Amino acid sequence: MVKKVAVALGVLSLVFPTMAFAADEASSQMLNMGLNTLWILIAAILVILMQGGFILLEAGSTRMKNAGHVAGKTIFTIGLCSLVYWAVGYGITFGTDNVENETLSNIIGWGSFFFDPSIAGDPLNENYPTSVFFLFQLAFAAISLSIAWGGFAERAKLSSYLVFTVLFVAVIYPVVAHWIWGGGWLAQDGAQDYAGSTVVHLTGALAAFAATVLLKPRIGKFNKDGSANEILGHNQVYSALSVLLLWVGWFGFNAGSAVSVGDGFFAYVAFNTQLGAAAGAVAALLISWLITGKADITTTLNGALAGLVAITASCAFVDPWAAVVIGLVAGVLVFFSVKFFEKIKVDDPIYALSVHGMAGIWGTLANGIFATQVLADKVGVGQGGLIDTGSWHQLWVQFESVVVVGAYVLGASFLILGVMKMVMGFRVTEEQEIIGLDLSEHGTYGYPEQMKKAQQNL
Amino acid sequence: MSDPGGAQLLSRIGSADDIAALRSLRDEVHEQMEALLSEQPVEQFYAILNEAHDALIKRTIALAEADLARMGNSPPVPYAYLLFGSGGREEQTLSSDQDSGLIYDDPDDEAERETARQYFADLTQLIVETLQQVGYPPCEGNVISTNPDWCLSLSDWDNKLNGWFEEPDWERVRYLLIVADSRSIYGEDELLEKLKGLFFSDMLENPVIVRHMLNNTMRHKVLVGVFGQLLRERYGEDAGSLDVKYGAYIPMVNAIRMMSIRAGLRETSTLARIHSLHLMGKLSADDASAYTEAFRLFMRLRLMATERSLDGMYMNNGKLSSRKLTKELTDQLKTGLRIGKKLQRRVFRQMNGMF
Repeated sequence: MVKKVAVALGVLSLVFPTMAFAADEASSQMLNMGLNTLWILIAAILVILMQGGFILLEAGSTRMKNAGHVAGKTIFTIGLCSLVYWAVGYGITFGTDNVENETLSNIIGWGSFFFDPSIAGDPLNENYPTSVFFLFQLAFAAISLSIAWGGFAERAKLSSYLVFTVLFVAVIYPVVAHWIWGGGWLAQDGAQDYAGSTVVHLTGALAAFAATVLLKPRIGKFNKDGSANEILGHNQVYSALSVLLLWVGWFGFNAGSAVSVGDGFFAYVAFNTQLGAAAGAVAALLISWLITGKADITTTLNGALAGLVAITASCAFVDPWAAVVIGLVAGVLVFFSVKFFEKIKVDDPIYALSVHGMAGIWGTLANGIFATQVLADKVGVGQGGLIDTGSWHQLWVQFESVVVVGAYVLGASFLILGVMKMVMGFRVTEEQEIIGLDLSEHGTYGYPEQMKKAQQNL
Repeated sequence: MSDPGGAQLLSRIGSADDIAALRSLRDEVHEQMEALLSEQPVEQFYAILNEAHDALIKRTIALAEADLARMGNSPPVPYAYLLFGSGGREEQTLSSDQDSGLIYDDPDDEAERETARQYFADLTQLIVETLQQVGYPPCEGNVISTNPDWCLSLSDWDNKLNGWFEEPDWERVRYLLIVADSRSIYGEDELLEKLKGLFFSDMLENPVIVRHMLNNTMRHKVLVGVFGQLLRERYGEDAGSLDVKYGAYIPMVNAIRMMSIRAGLRETSTLARIHSLHLMGKLSADDASAYTEAFRLFMRLRLMATERSLDGMYMNNGKLSSRKLTKELTDQLKTGLRIGKKLQRRVFRQMNGMF
């Protein structure tokens, strides 16, 4: 590493001779920090851009009458989420004021509220400035929140988005993130979740599950005899584009989680990510073709996302072949999961429970099976999985983290949303749901010409 | 039924003299046949049922003709009333719609031509309306004798067929396949024989048509998956049910029809076609009996499909609800569907191999 930097600086010094004077130990650390910062910021930007994917995904998978609301509320909640995470969420995840009290610091962090980072990093003691780390972590919190909106789709009141954003970003997400990434008790157990199959995706999906159960299915989703109707989204091209945006953004999500440029390990993470996503898309199309006789587009899109979600936990811990297997299984899993939720009459408008929940669980457990000792040592978290080491230990730890996180998020979400439902009401009225949230919550349509025409025909 | 073979019922239909009487006989047929459903072998059931349908339709036509005669109009030239679709194949269920046409002999001159056109327009109008009141809904695809395109003189039919053969786009090929199933139910059967003669000589002159027919014939997939599983409806009120009509019955009808047209067979009923194909050596005894078995099953299941009554018409959505699909039936169905799928593949290969 140092050698490479020296060579690079040597070359640079030919171009800018004055730089040669600065080519000492301190400036090589400075360069290291600069490159890390640049990469983490790019990754944060990519992850924030994934919100564009969520806008298109949710809008494309739902009906025209809600499109403006879907898009607008995403921008609003990203804004609100940023402020809450700055004020409270970051401190609960990474605050170190309570570090002496081990019992407490195992459960939550404390400190760094209304986060005020130093204006520049300290190259001798830090790998990157905390400002860039904050942005990156904030982007993750916002993704988890947007996943939760899947359970709200097409029928929740706008005010419930406001209240739930505050509570999710202050209380639910930061606690889980602290447990696994902030030095909490699961981190100490060696739980492997490289970029957040559990922390981000499962957390968001379980909040979505609580929401969709409390809200009850959309009008017209299920018939009296229990059979499901297909409520088609209004734009499949949006949905497909959303998957591409998310896929590209995911390189920031996973490879960015290396939070360093270093020896280029982050590129290996990106490489595995691509394999997982690809396998997920292929497996999902094929399984739907085999089982239903039709190659379903929605299933294919879900498969790509499920592959991405599953590989998120394991992208740094497994060999390439395992990344393919993890993606393939995720693609098949998501197909059956969608059928399963329909069967138990849970309305999952944008498939968040299957894509982020089921695939998130699978991805987290997959570490316990496929992680290799070499890579676990390299990342410095946990140990190799069942296949490489023959030991069940890591699988048990992974299982534990899924169960514990699941129980916490489910409990907290049901509690918060249940209280909200009692106190302020959670769902719009039947009439509002039928005319659409664009009109009922915002007073204007996302597609004014088409919707006005449609209304005249009513 | 206390009336084996329905002889008594048939004779009552034959002597009914108004719409109300026909309607109540139709309802009686429906009730009696439903009771028979479980007792009779399926071919026999269809034979009795189709005889009853035929009798009702014939009587309706005779009454319509008599009505016009009372106003001083009698048929200016001989004609034949045609049934297409399941009626043509003698495979009508308890609830079948009207797929019909009419063919009349060529009038001598222009004046007579106009008279004939007017007469048959009036006649078909009366027939179709009466049949609706008797409980037969009109064909949704407008293949019905009141449609001037399906009520023509022999030479006009000839021109029409030639046009279809010459420019075989998708829709026209569909019409040709419809004509292949036609059957004369009333009047001068000879006229249809002539038309069929033209059809088959045109076939010989346009061998390319087979490829077009093949695409049209294969468009309905047999609803069995790669793992031998049934491909059921996933959404909506019929979720869990199997579309027996379009996923089992029609693909088989289409495949057998395709083979029969190639072989120049004039039979219209699918079971008769299979039998004749075997006699001609186009099907081995084993294949013929396997196809017959599968088709009999599909015929039986069609009768079990969800029925609904709409505005006094007998309707059927062709779908078999999951409640009726017992374990035993499901197994039989899977076997039958696999045979249907193999047949489809065989026809596809045979026809493609010709070019």
